[in-house]
Amino acid sequence: MFGRLLWKLLRSNLPRLAVALVAVTSGATVISALLDLQFDIDRKLTQEFRALGANVVISRAHSGLALGANEPRSEVRGSPSLMDQAPVLAAIERTRTSDVVAAAPFLYIVARAEATPVVVAGTWLDQTPTLDPTWKLEGRWVRSREDQTSCLIGRNVARQFKLAPPGDLDLQYLDHHAQVRVAGVIDAGGAEDNQVFVNLPVAEKLANVGDQIQLVEMSIQGTGTTITRRMAQLAVELPDDEVRPIRAATEAEGKLLDRTRLLIALMVALILVLTALCVLATMAALAMERRKDVGLMKALGGSMARIVGLFLAEVSTLGAVGGLIGCAMGMVLARWVGQRVFGASINPPWDIFPLTTVLMMGVALAGALPLRFLGKVKPAVILRGE
Amino acid sequence: MTETLVEVEQLRKEFGNVRALDGVSFAVDAGEWIAIMGPSGSGKTTLINILGGLDTPTSGRAIVDQTDLARLDEAGLTRFRAEKIGFIFQQFHLVPYLTALENVMLAQYFHSTTDEHEARAELERVGLGDRLDHLPGELSGGEQQRVAVARALINQPKLILADEPTGNLDEANEQIVLGLLRKLHSERHTILMVTHAPQIGALADRRIDLHHGRLAPAPARV
Repeated sequence: MFGRLLWKLLRSNLPRLAVALVAVTSGATVISALLDLQFDIDRKLTQEFRALGANVVISRAHSGLALGANEPRSEVRGSPSLMDQAPVLAAIERTRTSDVVAAAPFLYIVARAEATPVVVAGTWLDQTPTLDPTWKLEGRWVRSREDQTSCLIGRNVARQFKLAPPGDLDLQYLDHHAQVRVAGVIDAGGAEDNQVFVNLPVAEKLANVGDQIQLVEMSIQGTGTTITRRMAQLAVELPDDEVRPIRAATEAEGKLLDRTRLLIALMVALILVLTALCVLATMAALAMERRKDVGLMKALGGSMARIVGLFLAEVSTLGAVGGLIGCAMGMVLARWVGQRVFGASINPPWDIFPLTTVLMMGVALAGALPLRFLGKVKPAVILRGE
Repeated sequence: MTETLVEVEQLRKEFGNVRALDGVSFAVDAGEWIAIMGPSGSGKTTLINILGGLDTPTSGRAIVDQTDLARLDEAGLTRFRAEKIGFIFQQFHLVPYLTALENVMLAQYFHSTTDEHEARAELERVGLGDRLDHLPGELSGGEQQRVAVARALINQPKLILADEPTGNLDEANEQIVLGLLRKLHSERHTILMVTHAPQIGALADRRIDLHHGRLAPAPARV
């Protein structure tokens, strides 16, 4: 009988309940979309952050290297700053997870080209597009780290030596020579515009420092906590070396994430309050209409628990239906927002369904506060028609 | 020996400065049909409401089936109404969005558990076997009142309280409802019926006349 009564109650007040349902559904849609974004925002934003380049540096402890995100890379400073390449790279591979977007060793030397000093950076050129995704390139990337004949040059170097792809560049360091062909000219907007980038073996041969590097740059994806955890793992693996964040970038990322989360939480709270107010207004009107029914039910011996239970079930159903519809609509909205803002769809977790539904049932029940006045209805007064 | 079902002693009810009942005392035996009569404002409905547990007296005692109503709290009165009283109102007071069958089952639901078969049988008994799934708005006044009678009887109450049960009916329907009341009386139901009409009051075993909240010196037996 409970289900039968509930169904009849819902049907009897369809127009008025439809207003409350629209409010609950709208609220649930926006909340669901925001929660979808909240759950996926870390992944999306950290992916965006990785476009800013490397955020972790490994170097010899106390080497004096203190690279910031935009600081120029220093030249080779002699053996105290050099690390053995093999153990460092092996440690990176041991701790590597999908969070590590890119990693590349660096060896810097100040060589000469046409008798003019120029900074040569030996690295893995195949990692450059991922490690420095903001660089603009004229020409082509070097796709193999084994390619010892190709290089990338900064735009200032290209201007100084009047070079363009596929021009040749002769590099000299002490009594070592290397001839490389320009594959592309980069525009980094920083010190890199004054440098020549070759694959690591080329720089090692020029400097004659076999299998030695100065630092490793890494781009690690994730929240501040994730990055700190990865750094701690690397620090354990490399006790003689220093694993440092490029502080400006990681702190800015963390703050932005925290603010985004706070903004979403505040918006969800605001929408919950507004939805509850909408339901409250509808329920206040409904409570007035229900006085006669409640008076009669009380006269027939209906306890308040049973009567109010019916009305609360009605409101909960409203919240659940509105929550489920809104949740589905919210997922569509979140996908659309994801495409527009991040250029990739949001993948809403299924946990959002029960969470949003329970939230909306709670909001609907909070909005049903006026129904408690039905407890004060005097059946004798109502039956007299007053 | 006849059992006393209703006992009223020095019952008073005041609404502010207005004294609706002023020291009313009487007793009703089980199986009796009592007509409560009197002009408007004489306290008839107030008396019925107190005996039905819808209202509480200012002073005095009202005992129904050995239950002193003054001693019951809100929940106790609710239980009392569900278990011992069957109401028939002048305005029918059916739930408009429930069918005839569901209106009867609603009383079952508040009493204990519902039994659709029993509710159908009760409606068939009042001649509405073919109107089970009709909403009150689709029934005539007489049919609605018969649904109310079925609802009043479904839980086998000790006492049936009827407040002007034919007040809103045409003559044909009035006769149908009175026929039902006569049948209930013959089945030994105890009925307290408020009415203005002397010819309807004459059908009862006894009349209680109220004037300004007091028992009027009227002949006790009809």
